Amino acid sequence: MGAIREAFDFSDFPLVERIGFGIFCLFLLAFPWLGMDSFGMAVMIQFLLFSLFGMGWNTIGGYGGQVELGKAQYVGIGAYTVAVLMVRWDIPYWFSMPLGVLIALGYSFLIGYPLFRLKGHYFAIATIATSLVLQDIFINWNFVGAAKGIELPIKGNTFLYMQFTNDTYYYYFILAYFLAGVLYMNWFRKSKLGYQLRMIKIDEEAAESLGIDARWCKIKAYAIASAFVAVGGSFIAVYNLYIDPESVMHLELSIMIALMAMLGGAASLWGPIIGAAILVPLDRYLGSWLGGHKELMGVDFMIYAAIIMFIAAFEPRGIWGIVERYRGRRT
Amino acid sequence: MAFLEVRNLTKDFGGIVANNDVSFSIEEGEIVGLIGPNGAGKTTLFNCIVGYYRPDGGRVIFRGRDITGWKPFQTAREGIGRTFQLMRAAGELTALEHVMVGAFLHQEDRVEAEKEAREVLAFMGLEGVADLYLTELPLAIQKQVGLARALAIKPVLLMLDEVASGLNPTETEEMVKLLKRIHREKGITLFLIEHVMEVVMPISERVIVLDGGMKIAEGPPEEIAHDEKVIKAYLGEKYARGL
Amino acid sequence: MVLADAFIQGILMGFLFALISLGLTIIFGVMDIVNFAHGEFLMLGMYTAYCLSISLGVDPLVTLPLCGAVGALLGLVSYYGLVRYLLRGPMVAQLLGTFGLMLFLRYLAVFLWGIDYRMIKKGLLVGKSLTIGPFHLDMTKVVCALLSLVAFTVVSWIIFKTRVGKALRATSINREAASYMGIKTERMNALAWAMGGITVGIAGGLLANFYYIYPMVGLLFVMIAFATVALGGFGSIKGAFFAGILIGILETVFPIIGHLLKTSIIGPHYKMTIVYLAYFLVVVFRPRGLFGWEQ
Repeated sequence: MGAIREAFDFSDFPLVERIGFGIFCLFLLAFPWLGMDSFGMAVMIQFLLFSLFGMGWNTIGGYGGQVELGKAQYVGIGAYTVAVLMVRWDIPYWFSMPLGVLIALGYSFLIGYPLFRLKGHYFAIATIATSLVLQDIFINWNFVGAAKGIELPIKGNTFLYMQFTNDTYYYYFILAYFLAGVLYMNWFRKSKLGYQLRMIKIDEEAAESLGIDARWCKIKAYAIASAFVAVGGSFIAVYNLYIDPESVMHLELSIMIALMAMLGGAASLWGPIIGAAILVPLDRYLGSWLGGHKELMGVDFMIYAAIIMFIAAFEPRGIWGIVERYRGRRT
Repeated sequence: MAFLEVRNLTKDFGGIVANNDVSFSIEEGEIVGLIGPNGAGKTTLFNCIVGYYRPDGGRVIFRGRDITGWKPFQTAREGIGRTFQLMRAAGELTALEHVMVGAFLHQEDRVEAEKEAREVLAFMGLEGVADLYLTELPLAIQKQVGLARALAIKPVLLMLDEVASGLNPTETEEMVKLLKRIHREKGITLFLIEHVMEVVMPISERVIVLDGGMKIAEGPPEEIAHDEKVIKAYLGEKYARGL
Repeated sequence: MVLADAFIQGILMGFLFALISLGLTIIFGVMDIVNFAHGEFLMLGMYTAYCLSISLGVDPLVTLPLCGAVGALLGLVSYYGLVRYLLRGPMVAQLLGTFGLMLFLRYLAVFLWGIDYRMIKKGLLVGKSLTIGPFHLDMTKVVCALLSLVAFTVVSWIIFKTRVGKALRATSINREAASYMGIKTERMNALAWAMGGITVGIAGGLLANFYYIYPMVGLLFVMIAFATVALGGFGSIKGAFFAGILIGILETVFPIIGHLLKTSIIGPHYKMTIVYLAYFLVVVFRPRGLFGWEQ
C-alpha cells in the first residue's frame, strides 16, 4: 500500500514540473486523435519504447552509476521468448512475456553475480562482452532461427497474442507500459534500494560502512533494469512480427539505450524520457531523410556520436543536469 | 569477556609487515585512542577490524563473535559504525539523505527512515543543513554529517578515523564535545585513531600506541604522554623530518 | 599436424594482436583511460594503407610510415580535442566519451568509403607464402610478426631507457608527484596517445595486407585488444605481448579442436565468443591479468 502511494506521489517535484508532466500525459493519451500520419505514430511508439528502455537502464546505470553497455541482450531475451514460444507452441503473449521477464531475471542474476565483482572500465567492457557472446549464440542457434531471424505467425486482431492490424492499439499498449514504468521509477527513486544505490555511486566504501552489501544491491538493480528491458523486447516481437539477432541484440542498441538516459540526464526520473524524446525523432527523421541521400550514409550516427562526445566532455549529467543545477535540487 | 578483542593481529602487504602481532581489547563504554606516527599501521589495523582488509594472522572478536575476515557491511550490521577521514562529497544526496541511508539499515520504510534521520540530525544540531547537498557544506560540517550517518545505523561501537584532520582548533574542540555527548548520551563505545596526540589525549580514557606495526605502549593518557618509548617514536619521526 | 599448423598460425596472429594491444595498454598505463576508439584507429590505419596503395599504386608496405603518422595524428587530435576535457569529468563520462569517438570514426568511415568489404589484392607480399618444412606461412603475417617485435623493442626501449620514458612512467605511477617534479603531465598524456596511435596505425597498415577492410572491422579487433590487455594486466607492456600471442593461439587452435572432435558446438563461428569469454573469465577471476607483475 505504501509503495503504491509512493509511486503516485510526485509532490517533491516543483509545481511547474508536475503540471508539465500532467499536460504531457494528456498529450500522450490524446495523441492518436491528433491526426498524425502513420510515420508520426511509429516515431511515437519508438519514443515510448526507448523511454522504457532508458528508465530501466537508469536504475543500474543512473542511480547505481555503473556503466552498463549490454542491455541489448535482455531486449533479445524478451523478444525471442515471445517469438519462439508463439512460433513453436502457439503460446499467447500474456504467458510468454512474463516467462521472458523471468528468464531475463534469472540470466541477469547468473551473469550479474560474477559481473559485479568488476568495477569501472573492466565492468563496462565485460557487459559488452557478455552481450556479444549471447548474440553470437543466437546467430548460430538454429532453434531460434539463427542469423535469419524468426518471423511471427500473423494472428489478426487479438488481445491474447497482442497482435493488431492498427497501430493505435500498439500505441496504447506501449503507453501503458511506459506509464507503469514511470510510476515504478517514481517509487524506485525514493525506495531503500534507490538511496542505497546513490550512496554506492558516491562512495562505495562509505556505503559498505553503513551496512550496505554493495554488490548485492547492484545485482538487484541490474536485474530490475533487465526486467524492464525484457518487457520492451517482448513488445518489439509482437510489434515488428519479425526479429533477428542483428535488430534486437546488436551492440548499437545497447549504446542507444545508455545514451538516451545519459543525454537526458541519468539518475533523474525525467532524464531518460527527455533523452528519448530528442534522440528517437532525430534518429527517425534523420534516417528517413538520409534514406533518400545514399551519399550521406553514416552521417546520422556521426551526429549521435558528436552528441555523445559533447555531453561526455561538457555536461556529463545530461540535459536535465543543467535544469537541476538551476533549480538546485535533484529528484 | 571483552567488548572488542584483537588477538595477535598480523597483516603484511607482499613482505611489508603493516601490523605485527598486535593484541589489545576494549571494554564496553570506554573511549580508547589509537595513536602512532605516520606509517605506524593505524589505518591498516582499523581496516582489518572493520573488514576492508583480511588479516593474515590473528583474530578479531566482537561481543563474543569471531568477526575476522568479515566484510565491511557485515561488521556494520554487527554494530560497528565508522567515519572516514574524508567525505567524498557529491551533489547527489543531501545531508538528510546521507543519514537516511544509514537509517535504512534497520528500516524499510522511507518515511520512518526520514524521521529517524531527522532525529539524529537534531541530536547533533544539524537540522539547519538537512536539505543541503554535501558539496554545499564546509568540511567541518561534512565530517559531522559523516558522523551522523554512522550514528544512524545505531552502532554500539564507533570507530573514528582521524576525526580532527583538516579541522581548525575551534572546530576540533566542537568535535570533541560532540563525541563526548555521543558517548555520554548514547552510551556508544568510541575508538579513535589519530595522528595528532593533542586530540586524543583529553578525550580518551586509555591510549594504545603503535609504531612500526607493533603495539609499543598502552595505558592512561597521562602515563602515555610520559612514556619513553612513545616519546622516542614521535621524536624519531620529528628528527627524520629534520625538525 | 593440423594442430601444429594452427598453433604456428596462431602465434603469428598473436604477434599482430599484441601490436594492436600495445597502444591500448600504453594509454591505459599512463592515464587510466580505456580508449574504446582504439579499434577505429586500427580501421583508419587499414584504410590509409588501402587508399594510398590504390591511388599511388605503391606497395602497401611502403605506406606503413604514413599509417603510423595518421595514427599519431588521430591520437593527438583525440587527446587535445576530446580526452583532455573528459579527464575533468567522472569515469562514466570518460567511458562514454571515447565510446562516442569510436562511433564517430566508424561512421565517418561509412560516410567516406561505404560499407563494402575491400581487400588489397596487389602488393609485394600479398598472397606470397613462406615454406618452412611442412608449414606454409603467409609472408605478410611473418613480416607483420617481425615488425611487431621491432615495435615492442622500440617502445620498451623508449619507456624503460630514455628520459621521456622515465617521465612517462613517473606520470603513470603518480600524476601529482610527477607534476611536482616538473614533468608536464599534459604533454605526457598527449605523448601516450601519439604512441598509441602510431603503433595501432602501423598495425592497421599491416593488417590491411591480409584482412578485409570495412568500417566495422574495429569492433572485432578492439574486443580482442581488450581481452589481450585484460589478460596481460591493464597497463603492462610485457603482459600485452605474451597475452597477445596467447589469444592468437586460442583463437586459431580453438576452431580446429572443434573440427577434430567433429562437433559443431565448437567451431569457427564461435571464434570470437571464445575471445569474449576469455576476457570475461580473466577479469572476473584474475583481475590483475595472468601475468600481473605490474600493478
